[in-house]
Amino acid sequence: MSNSTGSGGLELQGLKKILGGRVIIDDLNLTVNKGEMVSLLGPSGCGKTTTLRMIAGFLIPDAGRVVLAGNDVTNTGPEKRPSAMVFQNYALWPHMSVYKNVAYPLKLRKMNKSEITKRVHNVLELVNLMHHKDSRPSQISGGEQQRVALARALVQEPDVLLLDEPLSNLDAKLRVKVREDIRDLQRRLGITTVIVTHDQDEALSISDRIAVMNGGRIEQFSSPQELYDRPATEYVANFIGSLNHLTGDYSNGRVTVGTKTIGIRPEDVHFTSTNESNGFEATVDHVVPRGHFSEVYLKREDAELRAFMSTNIPAVGEKGYAVIKKALIYENGKLLKVE
Amino acid sequence: MSRKQVSLVNIFISSFIAFMALFILGPLIWLAVHAFATSWTYPNLLPDGFTFTWWKTIAGDQELVKSVKNSLLISPIVVLISAVVCLPAAYAFSRYQFFGRKSFLIGMFAANAFPKIGLYASIATLYYTLNLMGTIVGVIIIQLLGTIIFMTWIPAAAFGSVPRNLEDAARDAGASKLRTFWDITFRLALPGILVAMVMSFLASFDEAQGTYLVGVPTIYTMPTKMYALVLNYPVQIAAVFSLLLAIPSVLLISIARKHIIGGQLADGFQIK
Amino acid sequence: MDKTNSINNQESFAVNKTAKLSWFGFFMALPPVLVIICFVGAPILIAAGLSLGFTGGPNRIIALIGQEISTKTHWWGTLDGYKSVINDPRFGGDLRVTLGVTVVATTIVIFMALGMAIYRRVIGGRLATILVSLSLIPLFVPVVISAFAIRTFYDGTGFVKSLLTHFGIDFPTLTMTNSAIAIGTIWTSLPFAILMISSGLQAIPDALIESAQDAGASFIRIIYTIMVPLAFVPIVIATTFTAIGIMGSFTIPYFLGPNQPAMLGVEITNFFNSYNRPQQSVVMAFVIFGAASLIAIFYVWANLRSAKQSGRI
Repeated sequence: MSNSTGSGGLELQGLKKILGGRVIIDDLNLTVNKGEMVSLLGPSGCGKTTTLRMIAGFLIPDAGRVVLAGNDVTNTGPEKRPSAMVFQNYALWPHMSVYKNVAYPLKLRKMNKSEITKRVHNVLELVNLMHHKDSRPSQISGGEQQRVALARALVQEPDVLLLDEPLSNLDAKLRVKVREDIRDLQRRLGITTVIVTHDQDEALSISDRIAVMNGGRIEQFSSPQELYDRPATEYVANFIGSLNHLTGDYSNGRVTVGTKTIGIRPEDVHFTSTNESNGFEATVDHVVPRGHFSEVYLKREDAELRAFMSTNIPAVGEKGYAVIKKALIYENGKLLKVE
Repeated sequence: MSRKQVSLVNIFISSFIAFMALFILGPLIWLAVHAFATSWTYPNLLPDGFTFTWWKTIAGDQELVKSVKNSLLISPIVVLISAVVCLPAAYAFSRYQFFGRKSFLIGMFAANAFPKIGLYASIATLYYTLNLMGTIVGVIIIQLLGTIIFMTWIPAAAFGSVPRNLEDAARDAGASKLRTFWDITFRLALPGILVAMVMSFLASFDEAQGTYLVGVPTIYTMPTKMYALVLNYPVQIAAVFSLLLAIPSVLLISIARKHIIGGQLADGFQIK
Repeated sequence: MDKTNSINNQESFAVNKTAKLSWFGFFMALPPVLVIICFVGAPILIAAGLSLGFTGGPNRIIALIGQEISTKTHWWGTLDGYKSVINDPRFGGDLRVTLGVTVVATTIVIFMALGMAIYRRVIGGRLATILVSLSLIPLFVPVVISAFAIRTFYDGTGFVKSLLTHFGIDFPTLTMTNSAIAIGTIWTSLPFAILMISSGLQAIPDALIESAQDAGASFIRIIYTIMVPLAFVPIVIATTFTAIGIMGSFTIPYFLGPNQPAMLGVEITNFFNSYNRPQQSVVMAFVIFGAASLIAIFYVWANLRSAKQSGRI
């Protein structure tokens, strides 16, 4: 990933927003490169939606700048920004047909009729909705509504596409499919995209980079792999994936008495019947089958560890050895080292 | 419920509907038949004969025709003025927080709770001072008073129920604030505004007491004429006139019925 | 956790906050308020003055023309106008009729509306639609026509009496009785009550009713433990508006009621027009206004309570 300044992309510089007398966003910096897809990930209330609304222009920051495609748009209204947004519950206008919903932004730009028709048809074909162009939003399914909302945003050929929890109203199966579709479209069109989500799976699978937010700040901004392998803070480590917590010191696969926090991914815990490499004795307490893998709870007198195993699942009560392959060691919430 | 119970309930419901049909429609039909009756002998259930004479009598009566014209002229004006005065306020009530907002809403309600009849003495005084007695303007103002509640509360609820993100989406698509209001907010609140207009029209069209006090003897509207008719003419004339008076209402039902039953009217009566 | 939660509140507050303090809004809201202040508020004040014996200023002419006007004896006026009305034996009868008709008719209207609305909500179907549509018809009929139609329907040569004569029943003539007033007010008040209550009941989610059924609640129990409490505000609104409307009504009792004792709405007109006693007329208006205000307090309370419960204020 290049670290060039996002010329042509999106830059947030020192954003601050106070609402109702409280600081919602504090000194937020973010650079999204042109053509990149970035997720703002965090629990509800972390300020991710507020950030998105500042990018779109619905909220004016109290301090800082928003730079879109090289232009400072900090104080520009949403109608004049080269950004287009897909709203959480789609916000399709119920009194307009699918065609009219999509054509509306172009009509506002005073484009001529044949050009509008051409572009609307193109984008409806892109999202596979030509057969529904005369339907009302209420007559089509949630997934289709989602695609109309996407089409309405894409037809504007925006410099930045903003997606606010785009998948949260879809059922689990559809979510995976639409997620792939969005990613595919985004790559093909090479459009700079910011997506707000609280779902780590969604963020991990769709984004080039992820900004994990907490309390109005960005905790970590890096690629999905980096985020998973080297979570910069304890907060991020907890938020992304599963984690075993131990307190102590760690060296060579052994946990000793200490004050640091040790995070161990369940898939980095192995359970063997013979002690091959520096493991410690443990008993299988219970096993929760999770489909393609099993969650194995290992117990020692002073600690419990979870392990994800897909082969050779031990039986409950079996004694053996837990081996830690990798551990994340934190001191005062910050990553100290990965072993 | 057992099958026997179900059929008992059905019998009860059916007879209740029959009763309601008689209770609600009976008087109207009975009156309507009178409009075409030559004469009627008690206790027959049908008139002695049918005729259109009464309709001709009314068509030939210049004063009655004039009252029809007055009504059809004044009520639309009242609705229009009411819309101009009240719709911006309705929008403000639904979208802005301002000093006195709640007091305004409750004050409007309180003003409606005072029996209008009790005001007329004072309104008359006021009208003499302002030279409004016996004028169209005076009648319009009197009728306007009865429409304000409808034209403010119902559209306020309608504006309030337009989801904000639909407006945001329009702004994001490139629409100015004004354009967003026209294309989205106003358009989606239109059923509520329509209901308000229908209710206002009916309120104005039906208003009799105030109009009588302020307008008579210079300006007669259909309802004020009706008072005179009931006392001084045969039942049949009043019946014909009633049918005429009911035409606008019936026309308006067909336009707005769906939205009125759909809850637009009911939504307007809750203070938010 | 605590921190996240508090921020959560702020954010939803920020996104959902629909209103802002604004002078712009204030001035937009002003026109109808001004109309009401000028043509309802001011006349109410002038009328209040007249009722208390302020016979100068705007009341000068009316006090000159009118008869039996008491003039103020203290700086705040006099209660002689009120005393003369209260001491009038007629007034007692009028008040009893007014309150009686209001209570009876309102009760019947609300129970009928509740019954039909519950039927529509729970069972529904074509019959329910017919029933509700039927009950809405009076909303579109001018009151004058309703009054006149009901008068002809129930009078000495009317349909009801004619029909029953054929069955050998000597039915009383209802026109010019208080029963006729009650029938007329029920007829005209039903649509609004049904609209309010029915829309309140329709808004109750199916799940709430079904879960109560699932818990073993009987039909009656569901009505008074689930449906009525959840539609409480619309029911209160329907009740208060119906009662206030009936109490101050004129046309219906004027066409359908007896001459003596009459409902106060009619008496106000009589005293003003026929007897030329405007002060007494205004005093009676304030009696109705007082009673209506008591009812109105109930309405405002119910609205504010629901606003508090849903966190709007």
